Parts: sequence; structure tokens; C-alpha cells
Amino acid sequence: MLKKKESEAPAFTANGLPIDRSIKIVKSKAAKREEVKRNLVAYSFIAPNFIGFAIFTLVPIVFAFALAFLNWNGNTEMTWAGLDNFKYIFTNEMFLASLKNTFVYTIGTVPLTLVVALFLAIVLNQKIRGRNFFRTVSFFPYVGSLVAITAVWNMLFNPSMGPINEILIRLGVEDPPRWIADNDWAMFTIVLFSVWKYMGYYMVIYLAGLQGINTELYEAASIDGVNTWQKFWYVTLPQLRNTTFFILIMLTIQCFKVYDIVYMLAGAGSGALSQATTVLVYEIYNSAFRYWRLGVASAEALVLFAIVLVVTIVQFKLDKE
Amino acid sequence: MKKALALLLVALISLSAVFAGGSSESADDGKTTLTWAIWDYATTPYYDALIDAYEASHPDVNVEVIDLGSADYQTALQIQLSGGGSEFDVVAVKDIPGYNNLVKAGLLADLTPLAERDGIDTSLYGGIVEQVTVDGKFYELPFRSDFWVLFYNKDLFDAAGVPYPTNDMTFEEYDALARQMTSGSGASKVYGAHYHTWRSAIQLFGILDGKHQITDGGDYSYLKPYYEMALAQQADGIVQDYATLKTSNIHYSGVFYNESVAMMNMGSWYIATLIAANNDGTSDAENWGIVKYPHAEGVEPGTTLGTITALAIPSGTDQSEEAWDFVKFVCGEEGAKALAGTGNFPALTNDDINNIIAATPGFPTDEASKEALNVAQLYLEMPLHDKSAEIEVVLNEFHDQIMTGNMSVDEGLAEMGRRVDEVLAN
Amino acid sequence: MMIESSGQKVLKVLLYVFLIIMAAIMLLPFLWMLSASLKQDRDVFTFPIQWIPAEPEWGNYSRIWTQIPLLTYILNTVKLTIIVTLLQLFTSSFAAYAFAKLRFKGRNALFLGYIATIAVPWQAYMVPQFMMLRGMGLNNTHLAIIILQAFSAFGVFMMKQFYEGIPTELCEAARIDGMTEYGIYAKIMLPLAKPSLSTLTIFTFVNTWNDFLGPYIYLTRDNLKTIQLGLRSFIGQYSSEYGLIMAGSVVTMIPVIAVFLALQKYFVEGVASSGLKG
Repeated sequence: MLKKKESEAPAFTANGLPIDRSIKIVKSKAAKREEVKRNLVAYSFIAPNFIGFAIFTLVPIVFAFALAFLNWNGNTEMTWAGLDNFKYIFTNEMFLASLKNTFVYTIGTVPLTLVVALFLAIVLNQKIRGRNFFRTVSFFPYVGSLVAITAVWNMLFNPSMGPINEILIRLGVEDPPRWIADNDWAMFTIVLFSVWKYMGYYMVIYLAGLQGINTELYEAASIDGVNTWQKFWYVTLPQLRNTTFFILIMLTIQCFKVYDIVYMLAGAGSGALSQATTVLVYEIYNSAFRYWRLGVASAEALVLFAIVLVVTIVQFKLDKE
Repeated sequence: MKKALALLLVALISLSAVFAGGSSESADDGKTTLTWAIWDYATTPYYDALIDAYEASHPDVNVEVIDLGSADYQTALQIQLSGGGSEFDVVAVKDIPGYNNLVKAGLLADLTPLAERDGIDTSLYGGIVEQVTVDGKFYELPFRSDFWVLFYNKDLFDAAGVPYPTNDMTFEEYDALARQMTSGSGASKVYGAHYHTWRSAIQLFGILDGKHQITDGGDYSYLKPYYEMALAQQADGIVQDYATLKTSNIHYSGVFYNESVAMMNMGSWYIATLIAANNDGTSDAENWGIVKYPHAEGVEPGTTLGTITALAIPSGTDQSEEAWDFVKFVCGEEGAKALAGTGNFPALTNDDINNIIAATPGFPTDEASKEALNVAQLYLEMPLHDKSAEIEVVLNEFHDQIMTGNMSVDEGLAEMGRRVDEVLAN
Repeated sequence: MMIESSGQKVLKVLLYVFLIIMAAIMLLPFLWMLSASLKQDRDVFTFPIQWIPAEPEWGNYSRIWTQIPLLTYILNTVKLTIIVTLLQLFTSSFAAYAFAKLRFKGRNALFLGYIATIAVPWQAYMVPQFMMLRGMGLNNTHLAIIILQAFSAFGVFMMKQFYEGIPTELCEAARIDGMTEYGIYAKIMLPLAKPSLSTLTIFTFVNTWNDFLGPYIYLTRDNLKTIQLGLRSFIGQYSSEYGLIMAGSVVTMIPVIAVFLALQKYFVEGVASSGLKG
């Protein structure tokens, strides 16, 4: 097939935007028709996903955003609220605490997960014995049912009787942390859990990304006599840019939307999160489904959306540079 | 290989389609079908008992249950009812905050005129109906009512040579008894008492004198003696550490079955569970009894906490008359008997009902246990309040903060008051 | 990439030590799960942890089939998972091609819009969405879950990122040879995207398989329910059957692990073996 010849083209030129072949020459009628046709072809590719997405996701989302300016309990008539919902949430200390905690969680989780996942992927991309076993095992925490794995985790980290603290005491730690039961350690424990649970997931994406690297680049690098570290720094990392960018964005969004793991870990027992552990989506859940103030929930979601949008746009801009 | 895989997939899809389509619609044989939303169908014997009793006397009605699960029952229910579209004719209501939300959203039918028309005597429900009345109207009728008692393990008391707890104990006596009953260490440790992680288990000792409403906000210092008692017991190893219980999902039934606690305050629902567990060998605590809740000085013994399970009719149903007939039955005399027959406590109480329960095989035979079933005064775990859902979240939060030691009792109660006030002000 | 040279033997030993420790950390919870699945409920959460139950309670593995209609639930889940995964693979890989390799009006805005919606938590629009789908008569149908899961922005984003790593010159050459865009998608991009397609398959599979909230809201009838709903039904109001939850979790994890094992070889063979050198 015709793939052979093009394989020599260095892949890294393909990063970022594709090269535009229709550089504006003269906008003749034929060119315009050509452009319309090109647009139509592109739209036809997007349509199957977009139509389903627009009807079943976008429409309700737009509706929910409108709700941010209304009072509604899911049944009786909506009333106009203006900015009241926003005023309410920005004076609500639990919401403000949840904002802070969500940021702390995200800042703690994103870099750690990214680095660990990349490291694992590179190690498990080597030709080593038992590679399949190790890969499968790292994917386990992502697959396991949440009820089961949070239960285990809490047992292992049990402050007075858990094996982790038993080991710490044996190692000479006099006053081991009380982990999830301690306000100062709770968020850290949750970050630890997240990294453990999700590193295998992102490792899989990195593994797929590593397959896309042209091996000839490494061969060329070897001829130039560079060492392993330089290969990683000058070949692997730049080649993984698209993957890293994708993971960075998805991971950030996922962190901002964290909810169920926090609730299952820290809310166990009492069914409520404290100021030390509450996160945005927990507040949204409470507003929507415990208090049935759907307008407030929407306002909170809109704030979350705005934050993630800004962060994403910044990431996109940085990626373009 | 690929083809085989594809064929297998196709086969599986069609097979599951057959499964899914197979049992969906019941035959239209002229019967009325009532759809009833509930939780925990598989593990709760009384649903079938109630339905069987109703269908036996109403051969033209078919009752179909929809199990929405217990964990997020109220959420799932309200979503299903939202917008007034209801496929349910009767719904069970699990808690007061959930009831309050449904009423506020106008999703439940007003039962007051129906009850008046049919001459339902609401006083038979021991004041519960009054406690769920909003602006002179009530939207649910209780069919099950549970109250808290003190369970104890007779064998452990006998082994320690300590007299059993009684139906008239003050908190001081209870505390002393718990300390007396604590012994051993490691795997053979016996704890004198046990508090489950729910806030009700400790916090609500404080409301039994009838002087305070938990939803009032402001000064919660009246809860202080009870938190201090529990924390001291925890520090002295009389009860298991809250943080441990919370993070390890240790369930109260397990510790009681294993004979590692001597006394445990718990709801009357546990009676039926315990009897069943003793019958199938899950439990080692075969010799047990119950007594009335401990009480503060000057409060009548038998004053306790209660929680109710009720039935309501969604305003969106087009079979409200048929639904009302079912509600009347389940919450009435006949329903109460069917319920008591399974060892559970109907909301409609009288001596007959207590006799039925005390006669259940496996129920303790001593007089004190039977006497413990007589409730003098019942306070709802969560009284009806316009903001009960919000308040409940705050109460849970600070219960947790105090019991884990993240906040001192004074600090925690002060914060609790401040935050409840904030909820009330909004 | 290879850590093979003789001077690095020590490094290799260290690597294995690290991998084994890591594997232990990953596996420990699952060993606990396995052990808990063979215990009575009251023994599940006892300290010190008893890793090998004294009297294994094999009955848990038979009770999960009788206490709930688990077979029906599994078949429902299999059906949903397969349909959703196929739809997701097709629509995502198709749409991503346009975003990665075609120029058209509104491309960047549309794409950003796609991604931004991922950030909106489902809890915020669940009620309007439910009312809409119920209005269409989709409450208590599998179609509702398929619709919710099959058109995700996640898949589009992921596929786009991988496509962008494929040299645009490949497409250019094909265009010059007179191939249509659809042809390029089918004959050039898809074969090259095997690693990412298998990744997407795994993720979609796991997500749909483990999805709880969607089925919880839309599937209330027993004959429609999925595995995760079945597992949660062991958590009762006053007591939970942890032995059964763990047994159920173990059983339902097996298919996912199988899919992972079956597909993971594509992470290793990717472009290098099946594409450019073909």
C-alpha cells in the first residue's frame, strides 16, 4: 500500500494543526463550491456523534444553565431568581470550602497521577518478563467495583487497627496519622487513593501513545549516541505531547468533578462530608437531590463549568505555543 | 476467530433481548394494577405479607412492586416523580426530610379529605400523624413505626455475674453498667456498650427530656453531657472507637452476633433481624433481651426515639381511589396484623400488636423484654421542618467531627448551632 | 528505549523490585476482596484481617445467583455494553477524523464546546434530561442508557489526539491518489489507530459495565436492571451483605479483565508493526 513511502516523513511535523492545503489563492466560485463541499464532508463525519450528543446532552445542559437563574424544585412552577442563586452560593461557607478542597485535590492529584502513569507506561513498554501481568494488575484498581475497593482501602488505613498504621508503629512512628478520620490528613488520603485508582487507567492511554512513536527516531538517536535519559527527554516526551495534553485535560476535568470516591471514603458512617473534605460535586448533589434546589445546583455547576473552561482554554493556549 | 467472536456477540445480544422483553408486561385480564415503589424487597419479608393479605381480600387488584434500592431511595423516588409524571400509584416514604421535599414540590396527594371522608381515626397512630401534618394537611400515613430500645446479651451478663439492665435506668446507671461489663482484650474483648455511627445513637439522647427540638438551632449545649459520656467511654475502651467503626464499615449487627458487646442501643427493627440470625446460625448471641431506653433524671421510662415508614399517593397517579384503598388497608388494622406477624412494628399500636410480636418464636421470654415494648413517649429522629434536609446534613457533619475528635464537644456544638442558624436564616 | 546494556543489570533488578512492590499494592485489595467473598457478612470487617477464611463460605457464590436474578442482570449489562461500545467506537473515531484532519468552519469552537461539556457534572442536568427522555417514552428502556452513553465527547477527544500523531502526509498522498475522505478514514486512519481504538474499547467497556447512576435512574424494573444495580441491592437499609457484594464484585470483574487481556496486545503492536511497516 501507499503507506510505505510516507513513513519516512518525520511524525513530529504533524503535531498541532494539520497543514492547510487550500491556502487562500483566489476565492473563485469553484473554490467556494469546493469549500462548501469540504465543510459538508467534515460535518458528515461529525454528525453521527454530534446529533446524539446535541439532543441528549447539550440540550439538557443548556436547560440546566438557564436554571441557574431560576428557582425550581423539579415540579412546581419556576420563578425568576436573577443572581440570587449565585449570591447564595458565594456566601455559603460549605460551597466555598468545597471550592478550596476541590482545588487542593486537583493540584495534588493531577501532577502525581501524570508522572506515575507515564513512568509505569514507559517501564511496562519495555520488553520485560511478566509485562502482561504487571499491566493487567495496574488496571485492576480502575476496574474494581467502588463499593468493594473503598471498603478495603478504609480497612487498610484504619487509624487504630489497620495494617498500615501497625507497620508504621513497628517502624518507630510514634503517633501515626489517623488518615481519613483526621481533618488534616483526609484530603491527602483521598489523593493517595485517587492516584492508586487511576494511574493504571492513564497508563493505558500512555501505552497506546507510546505505540505511535516512530521507532526510527530512537534508532537515529542511538546513532547520535545519546543516553537513555536524553532519549526520554528529547524523543519520548515530545512525541507524547498529544497524549499528555489529552491526559492533562481529562485528568483535570475528572479531578474537578470528583465526588463518589470522596463520599465513599470520607462520608462513610455519617453520610455527610465535613468542611475538610467536601467537594464541589458533593455540594451540587446535596443542592439538587437532598434539598431539591435545582437552581442552586445549576449555579454551582455553572461555577464549576466556568473554572474548568478557563483552565482548559489556558491548557489549549499553552499547548499551541 | 473474529467471526466466532462476532457470532457470539450477536447471540448474546439477541439472548438478552429475549430476556428483557420476556416478562415485561403483565397480562391485561381486567384487573387493576397498583404500582408500589419500595426499597429492599428481597430482604424485607413484610412486603409480600402485606401484598398477599391485600390481594386475598381484593381479588381484582394486582400489586406490583418497584424496588428503588435503599441507599438513595428518596432521590430516586423524587426524580421518578419529578414533573408530575408518575408511573407509581403508591409510594413508600423512607424519611422525614424526603417527605418534606416531596410535599414542598407538590408531588404528593393530600390525604386529609380522604381520611375525613372515610372516618380514619388518626389518634390511633400515637401522635405520629400530627407530627407529619403541614398546614393542617397530611400527605402520608405511617404503616411501620420503629422505636429505640436497649439490646443486651444475657449470656455475657450471666458470665460476668452482673444483674441484667432494667426497664428503669438513668444514664448514670447505664454508664456504670457499661463500665462494669467491659472485660478482656484482643479478640476476646467484651465492650460494655456499642454506638453505631449514626448520629441518632448518641446525639438524640439529648432530646428525650422533651425540652428541645433538634431542628431549633442556636444553643446545642444540652447535648454536651451525652457526647461527653460517649467520648469518655470511647477513651476508656468501654465502646469501640467511632473512627474505627466509620472507616471499617463495622456493622452493629456483626458485633452483637459475635458476642463482643454487652449492650447496644438500636431500633426495634433489629428484633426481627436478630431472631432470623439466631435461627439460621449467623448469630451466636442466642440469649438476648431488650429493655427500655435509659433516661435522664425525671423523665418517664419508655421515652424514646422513633422513626416511621409511611405510604403516600403521588399527585400524578390516575388511580388515586384504588391507591387510597390500598393505603388504608396497609396502614390499618389488617395491615398492622400482617406486619406484626413478621416481627415488625406497625404504626398502629395497641396491646394486641405487642402481644403478637412478643409471641413471635425467638422473642425473649422474660417479662422485662415484653414490657420494653410499651412506649411512653416517642420523639421522631428527625422532626418535620421546612429545612429538615439541610439541618440533617449539618447535624450529621458535626456529629462526625465531634466523634472523630476533630473538634472538641464545645467547639463542635457551637459550630453546629451556628450552621443550623445559618440554614434557618436562608 | 531498551534498558538492556550490561552495566544496567542493577537497574533492572531494582526495576523488578519496584514492579513487584507495585503489583502487591495493586493486588492487595483484590486479594482481600477474594477473601471477603468467602466469609460470612459478620466476619468481613474484623481485625486483624484474616486473609484465608477458616471456613470458606462458598455459598456466597451460589447465593448471588438466587437472591437476585443475576443472570438476567449480566445479560442486560452485556447487551448494553456491547451496543454502547460499538456505537461509541464508530461515532467517535468517525467524528474525530474531521476534527483532526479536516479543515472546516467552526472547527475549533465546536471542539472546545465538546470538551467543555465534559466538565458539566451529570448531577446538574440529570433532572431535565430525565424529564426529556421520559417525555420521549424512554424511561425504563435500555435505549435510554445507550443514548446516554454512546455519544460521548470523551471518545472524540481521545481519538482526535491519536489521529493527530499520524502524519498528515499520509492523508495528502491518498487524496492525490483520488481517495475520498471516507476512504482515507476507513483504509488508512482506522488501521493505524488500533492502539487507541483498543484503548477506547476498554474504557467504554469498563465505564458501561460499571455504570451505576444511569441505570439506577432509568432502569427500575427487574427485567431491565444491570449488574451494578444488583450489587448495590445487597446494601440494605439496616444491614449490608458484604460477603455477597464481594462475591458479586469478583464475578463481574472477570469479563472486564478478560477484555483487557484480549485487547492489550494492541498496545504493543500499534503503528510500528501493523501500520507504517506493513
